[in-house]
Amino acid sequence: MIITTRLSLLALFVLLPLASGCGPTPPASFRLNMVEAISPSAEKDSISAEQALTPAQEKQVATILAAMFGTPDTPTCLPETGLDPAKLVLAAGPVRSDIVGRKNGLYREHCVHCHGITGDGMGPTAAFLNPYPRDYRPGVFKFKSTERASKPTHADLYRVLHEGLAGSSMPSFALLSPVQIDALVEYVKYLSMRGETELALMRYYFELDEEDEGKLPETREFLVEEILEPIAEKWASAEDQEIEVPEMPEDLDLAASIAKGRELFHGDKANCVKCHGVTALGDGQANDYDDWSKNIYKIEEKLKTLADSEPDSEERQWIAEFERVLAGDALTPRTIPPRNLRQGIYRGGRRPLDLYYRIHAGINGAPMPAAKGTVAPEDIWHIVNYIRSLPYDFDGELGADRAVAAQPGPAGRLVATQED
Amino acid sequence: MPEVPITIVRRLPPAVVLVLAATVVGCGPARVAGPLPDAAAAAALRASLTSGESAGAAAEEVVSGTGWGSLTGRFVFVGTTGERRVLTVSKDIEVCSKDGMKLYDNSLRVDPASNGLADVVIFVRKSRRVKNPVSTEQLVFDQKNCEFLSPVFAARVGQPIDVRNSDPIGHNTNVSGSSFNQLIPAGDGTIFTPNRETGMPVSVTCNIHPWMKAYAVFRDDGYVAVSAADGSFTISDLPAGEPLEFQVWHARSLGPNGGLGLEKPELKWSSKGRFEITLEPDQVRDLGTLEVPAAALGG
Repeated sequence: MIITTRLSLLALFVLLPLASGCGPTPPASFRLNMVEAISPSAEKDSISAEQALTPAQEKQVATILAAMFGTPDTPTCLPETGLDPAKLVLAAGPVRSDIVGRKNGLYREHCVHCHGITGDGMGPTAAFLNPYPRDYRPGVFKFKSTERASKPTHADLYRVLHEGLAGSSMPSFALLSPVQIDALVEYVKYLSMRGETELALMRYYFELDEEDEGKLPETREFLVEEILEPIAEKWASAEDQEIEVPEMPEDLDLAASIAKGRELFHGDKANCVKCHGVTALGDGQANDYDDWSKNIYKIEEKLKTLADSEPDSEERQWIAEFERVLAGDALTPRTIPPRNLRQGIYRGGRRPLDLYYRIHAGINGAPMPAAKGTVAPEDIWHIVNYIRSLPYDFDGELGADRAVAAQPGPAGRLVATQED
Repeated sequence: MPEVPITIVRRLPPAVVLVLAATVVGCGPARVAGPLPDAAAAAALRASLTSGESAGAAAEEVVSGTGWGSLTGRFVFVGTTGERRVLTVSKDIEVCSKDGMKLYDNSLRVDPASNGLADVVIFVRKSRRVKNPVSTEQLVFDQKNCEFLSPVFAARVGQPIDVRNSDPIGHNTNVSGSSFNQLIPAGDGTIFTPNRETGMPVSVTCNIHPWMKAYAVFRDDGYVAVSAADGSFTISDLPAGEPLEFQVWHARSLGPNGGLGLEKPELKWSSKGRFEITLEPDQVRDLGTLEVPAAALGG
C-alpha cells in the first residue's frame, strides 16, 4: 500500500501535468471569423457552397489583417483609421507594467474573458452569460446617442464602460482612471474596425472577376481607399450623427404627460404594445432575434433546408464544415425578448435622455424600430414619462390591487387566492 | 491490521483515476482556429501600405463610347412550381388572417399563362456613363393585409421612396444594411431615400410581423430592372460602346449570393449569374426567352 501511495503521488504531480499538455504558452493571435469565411455574405439566406473561402483565401485575409492591424501583442493601425496608437499600446498585449510603472494590457485584464481576444464576444465565459457579450466585429453597437445605423461616439462607449449596462453582465469600470477607460474605448474601436475590415474583405471575393484568380488585390487603392476608408469615415462622423433632443418643457404637467404617454404607448402610431405587451411586461412577442443571433439562426435554417433537399458531395462537405464551425465557433442563437418595462432596469441607461434615444432611433442590432418621424418629439417625451412611471404603477391591469382572500385548498390547507 | 472492506474505487490505483479524469476534463468541440497570418508577407504588405506607393497595378484601359442602347428579354420558368408554403401568422390575426385568408410565401411567382418568371433582378455592376440624373419622382412601396405588395423592389440611390402602410394596424419596415428601421403608422407613409447602393438585393422585413419579407436593391446608376409578372424586363439608356457586366439574381436561386447562372454559353453566363455585353448606339439588344430551370431555383 505504501508503494502504491507513492506511485499515485508521482502520477498526481508529474504525469498529470505532462498529460495536460504543459508547455510554454504560444503568443496570442487573432482568430479568423470562421462563420463568415464559410458563408461570406451579408444575406445569409442566399449563401451557397461555392462561395465558401478556400484555405488560401482565408490565409490571404488573415495576412492582410495582420498587415493592416497587427497582432494582439503589437497592434498597428494605419493613419486613415484615426486611432491613437499610444492608447492602443496601453490597452493591448499581456498584462505588465511599462518602464514608468503604468499598467499595460488593460484589455486582456478586464475584457478578454467575455469579449474574446478578437473582440468576437466569444471569450471563455461568454456561453454562460445572458445576454451574450458584444461581438464588435460587425461594427454594430446598441446603446448610443446617435441615429440608428451610425456608430457610437467616444462619449457613448466611455459611458458604457464607466456605468456598465444594468441588467447585463457588463460591469461598471468606474474604478479605472479616465486615461485607462479612454485606452479601452480606443481598443474597442480598433477591434471593431478590424472586424468590419475582415467582413468587407471576405465578402469582396464574390465581387472578383475571373482574371483576379480568386485573390484580392493587395494594393493601397483597394485596401485603404476602397475597404478601410469607408469604415473609418463612419466612425469619424459619429459625432455628427448625434440625435438632437429638444428640452423637456419645464412647466410640464407630469400626470397629464403620463396619461398622454399611456395613450401613445397603447396607440397604433408607436405600436409599443405589439412587442412590449399591453401590461408592458415584454410579453407581446418573443420570436425575433438580434442581428448577431439572427446570422447564426439563418445559417442553421439554410443548412436544414439544404440537408432536406439531397445535397451533392460538395454541399455535404460544406454542411459538415459548417456544423464543425457552428459547434466550435458560434454561440447558440437566442431570441431577444422585448424589455420588461415594469422593472425599471434599462440596459442603455435610465436617464430620461437615454430612454428618449432608444425610442427615437430604436436600437441598432435589435428589432426595436425607430419612432423618429412617426412620433413627434414632445410625444416621445410623454412616452418616456409613462415608461418611467411604470415601475411605480400599482393600479394597472396586473391586478395587484385586487383583494386577496384565504380559501380552503387541497388537503384542507388554507391557500390565498385572488377574488376575480 | 484488521480486514477493512474496500470499495471498487479504492481498488483502482488513484493515479489511474486521476489520469483518466484529466484526459476527460476539458474535452468538447475544439474552437475552430482559422489559419494564422504569414508574418513576413504581412510585414512587407504593411510597409507598402504605409509608404504610400501603390504596388504596380497598371491603369485600366478606359474604353468609352457614345450613345445609348437598351437591353430587354423575358425570363421563363421551366418545370413545376410545387405547392406554395403557407406562412405562420402569429400576430394581429384579426387583420392578417381576416376571414380566414391565408398568406403565402411569394418568393417564386410564375405566371400560369405564359410561364413568365417574375421578380428576377438584373443590374449593371459598373457603368462609366449615366444618361439621366436622379429622378425626384417618388416611388411607392406599400404593404397591405400584412404582406409587402412588391416582393422585389428596385430603386436608384437618391430617389425618394414613399414607404406606405395601407393596413389598419401599424408596421415597422426594416431595410437591412441601411439605417431604415422605422415605424409606419396605419394608413400613413414615410419617405425613405437610399443614400448608398446595395450589392446584391437586401431583405426588407417587419419586426412586428416576422413572416413579412421582401427584397430591395438600390443602385447608384439606376441601371436595374425587376422582371414583371410575365417575366419581361427592359433596361434603357444604357451606355453604348463600353463592355457592361450584368448581374442576375433571384430570391430562390441556389447560386452564390442568389446569383442566377443560366446555360447560355454564347453570352458566357457565369455560375455567379454574370454576363457581359457591349451595345451599339441606339441598339435594342433582345436576349429573347431566357429559360430558368426549376433546379436552379431549388425546385
